[in-house]
Order: sequence, then structure tokens, then C-alpha cells
Amino acid sequence: MAKGMFVDTSICIGCKACQVACKEWNALTGEPAHFRFDPAEKRPVAVNFTGNSYDNTGALSATDWRHVRFIEQISEDRSRKRWYFSSDSCKHCNDAGCLNACPTGAIVRTGLGNVFVRQDVCIGCKYCIPSCPFGVISLSGKTGTVHKCTLCNDRIHQGLGTACAKACPTESIRYGELAELKRRAGARLAQLKGLGYDRANIYGYNEAGGLNVFYLFLDHPSVYGQPENPVVPQRRLPVSSAAAAAGAVAIGVAALVSFRERGRKEDAKEEGKK
Amino acid sequence: MNPEVHVPGWEWYYVAMYFYIGGVSAGSYFVGSLAEYFGSEKHREVSRIASYLAFPLILLTPPLLIADLGRPERFWHLFVDPNSGLPYLNLQSPLSVGSWALLLYGAMTFLSFLDNLVADGVLRTTPFAGLYTRIPRKLYALVGCGAGFFVAGYTGVVLNITARPFWAATDPLVGALFIASAASTGAAAIYLVFAVRRMLPRLHLGAIERFDRLAKVLELVLAVGVVLLAGKFAAPLLHGSNAVMFWGGAVLAGTFVPLAASWYLNRSATGEPLPGGLVVLLSLLVLVGGALLRISLVQAGQV
Repeated sequence: MAKGMFVDTSICIGCKACQVACKEWNALTGEPAHFRFDPAEKRPVAVNFTGNSYDNTGALSATDWRHVRFIEQISEDRSRKRWYFSSDSCKHCNDAGCLNACPTGAIVRTGLGNVFVRQDVCIGCKYCIPSCPFGVISLSGKTGTVHKCTLCNDRIHQGLGTACAKACPTESIRYGELAELKRRAGARLAQLKGLGYDRANIYGYNEAGGLNVFYLFLDHPSVYGQPENPVVPQRRLPVSSAAAAAGAVAIGVAALVSFRERGRKEDAKEEGKK
Repeated sequence: MNPEVHVPGWEWYYVAMYFYIGGVSAGSYFVGSLAEYFGSEKHREVSRIASYLAFPLILLTPPLLIADLGRPERFWHLFVDPNSGLPYLNLQSPLSVGSWALLLYGAMTFLSFLDNLVADGVLRTTPFAGLYTRIPRKLYALVGCGAGFFVAGYTGVVLNITARPFWAATDPLVGALFIASAASTGAAAIYLVFAVRRMLPRLHLGAIERFDRLAKVLELVLAVGVVLLAGKFAAPLLHGSNAVMFWGGAVLAGTFVPLAASWYLNRSATGEPLPGGLVVLLSLLVLVGGALLRISLVQAGQV
């Protein structure tokens, strides 16, 4: 009964209604763009302006659980251009790096497959932050704990969809049963391929054990700022631990040959003196 | 246009310093235990000094770890789930397993510490001596030695088991590198105590020096291996302050120079102990180098 979201980026219009709905429902504060006087530079500097894009947050953060990424590519002579949008969020990975890394069990998965942070348990050790291959989970300086999209945990367990999907005017973000969403994604992909979008692809069927929030992209995932081959860090744990253990064994052997042999030789010398 | 895997924002003066001080403590403890196990009774002095170093040093580390938390008052959630009240362990998380190992290691070093205080007549007996004096000293030294290797090495595994490009690329060598560095800095801390207390003639330098040289050779090989493994992500160790700390501090001053000096000044043939001042200087080089190794590798993953 896993639930998830399918983000069809080919019909996203970059309106950011999902960002607003997410902030509203989850009561996330905004970080308004402003100017701050910098005493070192002796001039006002821009804070929270991306300045080079209609993209207004640039990344996901503890208060930006949705981020509409703007892909604005214009050729040197300005004759060709591409303008893509992709609404990004936590992917609720089936093999979640953040959940695996958590030393307190603060990050949990519910029966619907979504992953969220128990705010009363998190100690703010920050180990989940570099453990997410997608750069999602982030620390809040205000609460001292980490925050990320919960897949609207409070809504979905009451039979409602996610706030972002509800607000999306083009149904680019759809919430529902994973199996149904995958059927829909397959049909849309076939349609786009028929229309000549040869590079169109689905991102999230196999990555990180399968993503409960998956995407249809018109070009390679890296164009949309997603890693081509995300690796769940803990899958490297057996080899990494074995290498550290080998280091310990090497030091143990060094001690054995140093202390034991040497002891014998010295003993022999001392006996020789007698 | 790859997404940035976010940086954790671990402060070097808390996290890297914990990695370092924990390493020196664990290194001195396992060097002392191994010397006593594999060597003869004359290395007893080494293990005695080691237990006097290991416990006070490890006592310094929990405040550092707790200070870096976003919610320091909740540090105990590492061991107990606050909702169920049951002990919590996550075998997939080196941080979780490492916290338990640190607790176990702390307990073992505490027992060794008490044990030596009683043996030296500082304490006549301890309040709960009956609980542990029947356990052979060598048994908890063995458990503590294993936990010590874990404490020294898991900190490197913590860095490797992330998605930050530099730390992920250097997997799986950092754990072993930190263990070699712990051995070398642990031995240096022991030398330093012997030199400062003018006990050098009582130190059987031949064996511990030979061990120390092997550890430093391993450390040099692993340090170069880490840079080679890092490949295209090695930039933070090739330019700027991290490069100076890593190559100048950790590799050259902290490992290569003391290693070369040890070979050059090898007086074990004549049996003359090295002058105390020189031992102090070389030990301090090793100890500072070990700190710079941790700082540079923690910082290199966060630029």
C-alpha cells in the first residue's frame, strides 16, 4: 500500500504553487530576500537572491521542503534556448541514506512508505545531512534538529493527498498509489517518445532501492540537477568496516613482531652477557 | 549541474578534535595493552602510563561531541529511545555503533585506571573493587583494546559512509588511516610522559620504537592512498590551508620527519637513550601532526 508522488516535469509550468502550498500547510517560515549592509565590503549585499534565475531558493533546506528548479539554457548566440522546470523534494527512498545513518532512530518510515523526522527524538548530530545522496535533509538553526518533507504525513494518514499535489494546477505533481502512478508514468513516457522526445526517461525506479517520489525528465537526470547514479552510502559499510578491521589487524601484527621478537633477542643478549 | 550533497557543518574544534583526542587515548591504550600482551613484564611500565593517559583523555571527549549537537541536552537519545525507554542501537550507522563502543571503551579504561591507582598505592581500595577485582586485569584490557581499535577507527568510517564526494571517494581507507595515526600518536603520548617525567632509561625503547616505525610507515602509505583514491575530488588536499595541514603538518612534520629521525638516530645498537629534549620535540611533532590529519580530512569533506 505504498503511496508516493509522480512528478511529470514535462507539464510543469514553474508557477511555484507547490512551494507555497508546502510552506502554508507545514507552517514553514519564509526567508525573504533582502539587502544587508556588509561592514567589510562597505556596501549592501544581497541575501537570498539567486540573482541569475527565476529559481528563488536555489536548493532544498530546513524551511524549503519544495524547490522548483529552473533549468534555463541559452546558447551563446541566443538562437537556441531550453527552459525546463522541475519541482524537487525528498524522494522518500526505499533504502534511505538519512534513515540508515540516524543514530537515535529519530528518522522513521511509516506504513505508507514515507520517511519523516521525529522532532522530539532528533539530537541534531547532523550525520543524516551528508548521508542523503540528493542533498535534501537540512539542519534548522532555530530548532537544532533536522527537517525535510514528510510527504505530508499528517494529511496522507487521513486519506488526503499531499499539499503540493493538491495545489499543482497542471497535475505535474500527482499523489497516489505507487502502482497506479507507475502505470500513468509508463503511458506518458511512451506518448512522449512517440512525439520525438528520445531522451525522455523515468528517474526513480531503481535509484536508492526505488524512490517513492519519482520523476519524468525530458533529458538526462543531471540536466535537472539529480545525480545520475546515486549511491546509498551504507551499502559501502561492509567493505569500509573490513578495511578498518584490516588496519587494526595490521597494527596488531606490528605490535606482535615488535614486542615479541625484540624481547627474545634482548633476552638472548642478556643471557649471553651472563 | 549536480546537486550539492549538503555539508553537515561539523565544527573542526569539536568533531575533528574529538576524533583526535579519542584517537590518542585509544592508541595509547592499545599500544600499552599490546606491549603487555606480546612483550614481557618489562613493558608493564608502558601499559601503566598508557592507562593513566587513556582514561583522562577519553573523559575530555564527550563534552566535545555533545557541544556539536543541535540539541545537546538530548545526547542520551544515542543510547535510549526516549519514547519506548528501550536501549537503541542501529547497526547500519557507524555513529550509533561508535557511541556504544565509546561507552564500553570508557568503562574499560576506567577499570584499568582504578586498577593502576590501587597497584601504585594511590588508592588503598576502590568502592566497588569486589565487583571487578576477580576479573583478570588482562581480560578487561583485552576488551578495552578491541573497543579502543573501534574508537580509533570508526571515526574514519563515519566520514567514508557519507555521500559527500571527497569522503565517499576516499572510502574505505580513512578508518585504517585513523587507526595507524592513533597508534603513532598514542605511542608519542607515552614517550612524552616518559621524557617529561625523566623516566626514559626505564623505557625499553627498542621494541616500542620498532612498533612505532611500522605504524608510521602504514600511516604514510595510507595517507598517500587516500589522496590517490580521492582522484578528481582531491582538490581540497592539493590547494589551500587543508593542503598545508595535510602535507606539511600530518604527513611531513607529523609522520615523515619523526620517522626519518627515528631511523637516523637509531641508537638501540649502543643502548644509549635519546636525549629527553629531542624525544619531547619529536613527540610533540607527532601529536600536532595527528591533530592536523583529523582537521584537514574533516574540513576537506566540507568545502
